[in-house]
Amino acid sequence: MLFKPYTKNFGAGVNSTMSNLETILSRDAYILSIEIRLYWFVALVYGVCLVLYLIHLITKKTGPGRLATNMLWLGVITHAGLIMLRTFEGQRAPFQTLYESLSWFAWSASLTYLYVEKRWKDIYLPGILVAALSMGACLYALLTRSPAVEPLSPPLQSYWFEWHVVLAFLSYAVFVVSCSIEITYLTIKPSVKKGLRLEYGLNSGNLETFHRQSFRLALFGFPLLTFGIFSGAAWANDAWGRYWGWDPKETWSLITWTVFAIYLHSMSMPRWNKLPASIFNILGFICMLMTFIGVNWLARLLGIPSLHLYAM
Amino acid sequence: MAIIKNIKNINLQKVRENKLYKRFASLKTSCVFLGILVGFYILGTIFPQGASLDDYIKSGGRFTSFVIFFDLLNLFTTPGFLITAFLLFINLTICAIERFLMLRSQRKTVSDGSQFSESFSFPLDINPQLESAEESVKEIFKKELKFNEKACPHTKDFGVGACADSGITIMEKGWSYRWLTWIYHSAILLCFFGFFLTYLFSYEDEITLYPGEAAAIKPAAVSRWNKSWGSKPQELGFKLMLDEFITEYNQFPKLDYPADKLSRLAVAMGWKDPKYILKNESYFPKDWKSRLKVINLSPKSVIGEGKQTVLEKTIEVNDPLSYQGITFYQAAYKQNLKVQVDDNPILFETEVGKELIIPGIDGMLKFGAIRTGMLFKKDGSTEKIKPFTEATLIKEDSSGKREVEKLGKLEQDGGLYVADKRISLREFKEASILSYRYDPGVPVLWWSGVIVLLAMAIRIFGAWYRIIYRIEEKNGRPHLLFKVKTRGLMADEERLIKMVQLSFLNMTEPIDLDTPV
Ligand code: HEM
Repeated sequence: MLFKPYTKNFGAGVNSTMSNLETILSRDAYILSIEIRLYWFVALVYGVCLVLYLIHLITKKTGPGRLATNMLWLGVITHAGLIMLRTFEGQRAPFQTLYESLSWFAWSASLTYLYVEKRWKDIYLPGILVAALSMGACLYALLTRSPAVEPLSPPLQSYWFEWHVVLAFLSYAVFVVSCSIEITYLTIKPSVKKGLRLEYGLNSGNLETFHRQSFRLALFGFPLLTFGIFSGAAWANDAWGRYWGWDPKETWSLITWTVFAIYLHSMSMPRWNKLPASIFNILGFICMLMTFIGVNWLARLLGIPSLHLYAM
Repeated sequence: MAIIKNIKNINLQKVRENKLYKRFASLKTSCVFLGILVGFYILGTIFPQGASLDDYIKSGGRFTSFVIFFDLLNLFTTPGFLITAFLLFINLTICAIERFLMLRSQRKTVSDGSQFSESFSFPLDINPQLESAEESVKEIFKKELKFNEKACPHTKDFGVGACADSGITIMEKGWSYRWLTWIYHSAILLCFFGFFLTYLFSYEDEITLYPGEAAAIKPAAVSRWNKSWGSKPQELGFKLMLDEFITEYNQFPKLDYPADKLSRLAVAMGWKDPKYILKNESYFPKDWKSRLKVINLSPKSVIGEGKQTVLEKTIEVNDPLSYQGITFYQAAYKQNLKVQVDDNPILFETEVGKELIIPGIDGMLKFGAIRTGMLFKKDGSTEKIKPFTEATLIKEDSSGKREVEKLGKLEQDGGLYVADKRISLREFKEASILSYRYDPGVPVLWWSGVIVLLAMAIRIFGAWYRIIYRIEEKNGRPHLLFKVKTRGLMADEERLIKMVQLSFLNMTEPIDLDTPV
């Protein structure tokens, strides 16, 4: 475990155990209320970024795009504070519940995007999907998940726990950015080839280098996802006595991994490394979404009872 | 002997030229197999794997005849899935062999050199004599830029004039990405082997242990391999004894926080603050532990004071015990309790979670998990829990509709009144449920997985450079003509070119172009 369980007494001068406990509980509730509001604020900032990126898309002006990126920096920095606050609150790595991992996912996707975007000059289109997903992830957590700081249940008390979640969700974040570049490339390529829509910062000179980032990101994410699956299996082997159980969550992560393996392979095949590869990259992204929120959705859609409902 | 060898060679060559073999050596084929597997996986997430057909139908399952025909509830053991996985395995094996042969013959190195056309060129401020310039350049690439010279490609592949003649030098830096790729692909093959061992030889079962009893272990299941030979389950050569079963809880206050979306938004706007409340059910499992002893039945392995205990370990979730290839996991626990009704000396026994009918009481009693052991409180203190359970009364009307009434907390030796009858908790007993498994695939998978991860990480995150250069005289001055190839995300071509330029600028032997040599 990265963090020791919380044992320190809080509220100096309080003698009776009961009032001591009450002090702790009201302090915890107070921190939680700040944390929740900060989380909402971060979601709002991502929302504003999304609107600004969309204005950039509609007006073709660089100003809103640049502003959106600056706002995204604000979101990411505040969000880093939020993650640290949650760490302090729970006295452990904040990756236990979906409420927490969605926050980590949104933050790492935005940060990865900002890191990649720094290499370009006035290209902002991929920001649309990244801001939309970051906002969506935060809102989903805030509106549907419990924000309570839970103690670690016995199955989670494993040295695999933090690394498994951190790296798997980091890979998802990287795939989001990869896919947003891929979609931008696919939609703008025909126009750029004709010398149109150059206002978005892409031209025949930089289009292919821009697109290459998408491959590099998927390449970066692939070993992380491989580690995510491997560590998940090693952990399941320790906790449940079986490294693989074909549970829908496990299986969807394997699907995502396999689709990205097909994508990476097709990139080294002359006939497949153009449109087919792009499609595989986008499919990989869709599978990734299925892995962490869409599990069982397909079964429900077809009216098939899934007896393996995974606690999320 | 030599003839046999020759025949072998000829056949091998023929096999390698076979159309089917070639198809299996192709990357496209792997993508197709991987794609088919994805199809199986998706079906496997739609249909509940491992469910019985009865359960499936009872819970409203559809497409039943389709499910039966394709065995969709056990998809991952159907021949269709296994054959596809096997074909991918063959595909990967052939690819690994082919690539190994290719890597050994270094054909790739050659093709890079044979198409040499420089990407960069700049004049060298060194001794304009070409021969000594070559020496100095080599020296700089090796000593300053830490490159290694690669063997000169074979003449036959390189066309007319070997690389020495064409003046090309090939140098590399970093771990060979091709070998790394080969290593992790081969390790994936080993993973397949691990899965195969699991598929054939693993078996698992469960055992319930009561404290103080040494239990013999006889798995109900046999491995697929043994089953195919008609073997029956065998009792294991040792017994397991549970010395103590320990439960620990964390104090987990309930959060008073709205579930509906609008109220949550209102909380965000400061309308209401979230609150933590402590209640009876604020017990969150911290640990379940079993103190186990392995007792060996063969007298030879007896150690220490004539006892037969060969191993002792306290296991918990995520920390199992392994002995003779079998691993025991803390899976769950079972609690039985005895209640007394008024002063009746005959006690009623039941299991936690099961319904109990007591004469004279309308309805059925049900008891929740007995909280016992240690409580770790929020303020850092600990407290021994006085064992208690939560009781409920379940009434069923003639239409089968159930009504559940919470009766409250029932402490050990304490009582609760139900329909004028006093129910007291007198005794309880805990048993630890362990699952156990024999799986020889795990170590294989573990080690091959580590190799896959390491080789893949070095290949993808690392940096590998190849530089191909030639020195040519232009206008009486030696020029360095070179091209660079990189692999790995850390490889930075621009930085390398800058470093090359810088290294050659810093050369100590500036030339005086006016002095005739
Ligand atoms: C479970 C199956 C497989 C996985 C997960 C996998 C994974 C990968 C990954 C991630 C890459 C890209 C990174 C790199 O170039 O090192 C790659 C490249 C490659 N794979 Fe696979 N692979 C699999 C099966 C196969 C099979 C069956 C073949 C044989 C046809 C194959 C041949 C190749 C080749 C030739 C490359 C290009 C390497 C290069 O750039 O030099 N792979 N594989």
